[in-house]
Amino acid sequence: MRDYDIIVIGGGHAGIEAACAAAREGFATLMVTQSLDAIGRLSCNPAIGGLAKGNLVREIDALGGVMGHLIDSSMIQYRILNRRRGPAVQAPRAQADKFTYSRNAKQLLEHTANLSLFMDTVVDLMVEDGRVIGIVTERGWRISARAVVLTTGTFMDGRIFIGEWDAPCGRLGESAALGLGDSLRRMGFPVGRLKTGTPARVRRSSLDFDELEIQKGDDPMLPFSFDYDDVDRPQMDCYVTWTNEETHSIIRENIHRSPLYGGKIVGKGPRYCPSIEDKVVRFPDRDRHQIFVEPEGVECEEMYLNGLSSSLPEDVQHRFIRTLPGLRHCEIMRPAYAVEYDYLDPMDLFPSLESKRLENLFIAGQTNGTSGYEEAAAQGIVAGINAALKLRGESPLVLRRNEAYIGVLIDDLVTKGTKEPYRMFTSRAEYRLCLRHDNADQRLVPLAYEKHSVEEEKLRRLEEKVSRMSDLRATLKAYRERGKNGLELLKEPEVTMDVLGAGCPAILEYPAPVRDEVELDVKYEGYLRRQESEAEAFSRREAMAIPADMDYDAIKGLSSESREKLKLVRPASIGQAQRISGLRVSDIALIMMALKGV
Amino acid sequence: MENYSVDEPIYALATAYAPSALAVVRTSGKGSIGMLAGAFSPSGRLVRAANGTLVHGHVLDEDGTTIDEVVLSVYREGHGYTGEEAVEISTHGSLMVLRRLSARLVQLGFRPALRGEFTFRAFMHGRMDLTQAEAVEEIIGSRSVKSQEKAMDRLAGQLREAMGSIRTRLMSILASLEVQLDYAEDEILEDWVFPEEEVDDIISSLRSLVSTYDAGRIHRDGAKVVLAGKANAGKSSLFNLLVKEDRAIVSPVPGTTRDFIETWIDLGGIPVRLYDTAGLRSSDDEVESEGIRRSASLMAQADLVVYLVDPEDDVPLDELDETKTILVYSKSDRRRVEGALSISSLTGEGVGDLVASIVARLSSGTEALQDDTPVIDSRRQRDSLIACIEALENARASRGQSVDIMALFFQRALEEIGLITGEVTNEELLDTLFSQFCLGK
Repeated sequence: MRDYDIIVIGGGHAGIEAACAAAREGFATLMVTQSLDAIGRLSCNPAIGGLAKGNLVREIDALGGVMGHLIDSSMIQYRILNRRRGPAVQAPRAQADKFTYSRNAKQLLEHTANLSLFMDTVVDLMVEDGRVIGIVTERGWRISARAVVLTTGTFMDGRIFIGEWDAPCGRLGESAALGLGDSLRRMGFPVGRLKTGTPARVRRSSLDFDELEIQKGDDPMLPFSFDYDDVDRPQMDCYVTWTNEETHSIIRENIHRSPLYGGKIVGKGPRYCPSIEDKVVRFPDRDRHQIFVEPEGVECEEMYLNGLSSSLPEDVQHRFIRTLPGLRHCEIMRPAYAVEYDYLDPMDLFPSLESKRLENLFIAGQTNGTSGYEEAAAQGIVAGINAALKLRGESPLVLRRNEAYIGVLIDDLVTKGTKEPYRMFTSRAEYRLCLRHDNADQRLVPLAYEKHSVEEEKLRRLEEKVSRMSDLRATLKAYRERGKNGLELLKEPEVTMDVLGAGCPAILEYPAPVRDEVELDVKYEGYLRRQESEAEAFSRREAMAIPADMDYDAIKGLSSESREKLKLVRPASIGQAQRISGLRVSDIALIMMALKGV
Repeated sequence: MENYSVDEPIYALATAYAPSALAVVRTSGKGSIGMLAGAFSPSGRLVRAANGTLVHGHVLDEDGTTIDEVVLSVYREGHGYTGEEAVEISTHGSLMVLRRLSARLVQLGFRPALRGEFTFRAFMHGRMDLTQAEAVEEIIGSRSVKSQEKAMDRLAGQLREAMGSIRTRLMSILASLEVQLDYAEDEILEDWVFPEEEVDDIISSLRSLVSTYDAGRIHRDGAKVVLAGKANAGKSSLFNLLVKEDRAIVSPVPGTTRDFIETWIDLGGIPVRLYDTAGLRSSDDEVESEGIRRSASLMAQADLVVYLVDPEDDVPLDELDETKTILVYSKSDRRRVEGALSISSLTGEGVGDLVASIVARLSSGTEALQDDTPVIDSRRQRDSLIACIEALENARASRGQSVDIMALFFQRALEEIGLITGEVTNEELLDTLFSQFCLGK
């Protein structure tokens, strides 16, 4: 008899989703965290969502996850991004009151049935016959379980750098998780180092607001979750300012004092979110860089300087930050810092996020080399659901690339690995027109129900929405103007649902999400149909399964490099094999031949 | 492609099945050296032969009699065309020898290769990309020197280079779109502007590649040239004369019917399939009417018709397609028609001019083809380029659309380029490609 069914190590965004998913599935679950006060922290930017990331949040919600609820109950600004540039790739983003977010997260865990919480640091895994059977903690507890989900984020051997100063921390002021990384190394897990960073926080009352541009949110705010129609939250503004030549010259003069340039940091940082010193060095022609000044909460003086992350010494930070309009007299409350941490090569995982090395161990979140709360949570929910399905003896939840951004995310990780912190982008998704944020429920709720991760209520809500959508289509079809019906009219670029509503008020009686979704479906019909047929061809290749015990040594003609890659990734299908980087067409042909028994 | 395999010993005639001075029979597959040694003398020399060496000796029949004196080129595993253990047999090109050799190889355990199987194996062993594989197909199928030069250029990657450059340019356009979708409007402030000039320029590069297709086709497949005219206009004499002009006859094969005779000749570097339409005269006779019908159909299919007229006869202008007909008066030794192309099969007078005029007509429209111009020859490549152009033209026509839609057009254009360079693949492509191969068969 084990102490718990499932243990989740870590209380970050991946850990929260994993623990809730496991508990929701009905398994006795324990979350072990280094600090109960730090559950669900937004360690970096005080925002959830964004392009592609907003889609992830809505997919997590459709799968029964909690991130949508947490941001809906803590947002202080809401915007739909890129409405104009790509109606089909637009996505929601919300500024969060990070204290509310974190407090709500802890409360939610406390109110989750089947879930226990315990504060300690995990230093080792208990293993028997190639399976994980429990954990060992710093204070000497040995707790057994049937499955373990590892979500340690940046804490595994984390080290923080501010100029010449460095310290073993996962976040500033919070000690790193030492020991577990060593244990995993000893067990042969492929461990690497990555780097990320966060900017300084400045005091609201010390800002010169007359020098800042105001950035307002959308009104009304809309929920991320599909479970309700409205959110009622206070609205706060964000602000914009710019760096200038003076900022850049201070940075250039002190660049040698950055641990990034001095060689102290070996881990690779994200190219898509560079530190300000990177921007200045790599783009010397740019005479200014845009900086967003974002509130961290309603009753909080700290303001986040988005775009200004740095690892330069504090005295340099003080000087260059105060060259920006609006910030000339600012008080810096927390310095910017870089953090370097251990990550585990995700190619060591199956698409279910179970370890190939250690059965019943699931790994999710930043530990797998990703960056971002949403990416972490997305893996967390999949790992939690799959740990539960494993204990049930059911097949895992593996989302395909044409089903969900989550599918793209996990497939990329386990097939290609990552050399820098992996962030979700719309351009990573081949079938992005089909993966809209507003249809995440249609894509995933039925599947999640099948996998026991959502209540019947959620399915009913979806059915109701779908039937209202088809009612609206019928209303449109019946309406005529200029000799065309409403559906035909809607295909014209300048005709929107609101325009039609003027002549046909019945349209306006439908809720906004239903109207918006039908509008996009109709406007994009032709493109969607093409992408769907491409997605079908894709699915056929995914359906060409490669047995898990495929003997790549027995296939003649594979180059030794390809052979090693195939043995490492062990692709589940021809489709996945094709995506392994460096594999040649001829290698795929050989595997296909082998499958056909030639 | 279900029936293709790797490593299983196979053989195929790599040269034409026709009487010739030399012929090459290729084998490939695991153990092929040892297997062949069982019918070779001196067998020890073959068994010990190092990679890339030649072994001279005799291939013996089951009863020990010599089939032929041959030279073997030996390839150890990992080398040679397929990357497999292989032997190439250079033998005399008598049909009797070829028949006996085939039978013997089957006895030894080799099976005849399927269409395209050698190239498939080479491909499977990673020895060439799709572009190279297609070029090899053309060398095998090539009928003249010029055609071979073009194919060799392909191997050097000229087409790939041209495609690579277009690919890079398209990528950069696509990237400029993707960045707008991956970052929000408040981060990337500039709106995307349709790169008019760049797209036009890429389209015109693609168009000029497409225009090389017809020229490429004539060099690869050869041009159909039909000698036509009334009976006794002198067609057969001219046919024989042209055949004699060319010393590189591959195989004079009689036509499938007695209505015409065809042969391959090389005219000024262009492989020409020359047809002599026999018995072209009006007749009420049923058999002859059928002959006339076939001749007319040949003329319709021809790239060029050389219409011979006896100086005493009228020219049936309304029966001729001027766009692809060269009108020639025969028997100039008897009477010359001034201001027109005239030949005498008897003296050979004017034949040189006629050849020059045939070559000029076949090459017209391909003047732009410099020796270092990459040329596309395969229908698949041409189709992809056209699809790429279409995608770009659609993009141009849809420039007002939102960025996510614009990206679709450029993605599509890139996919098409990938189909040519072999960088994008799918099962259908491989199936299509290998079914088109006609290697050694």
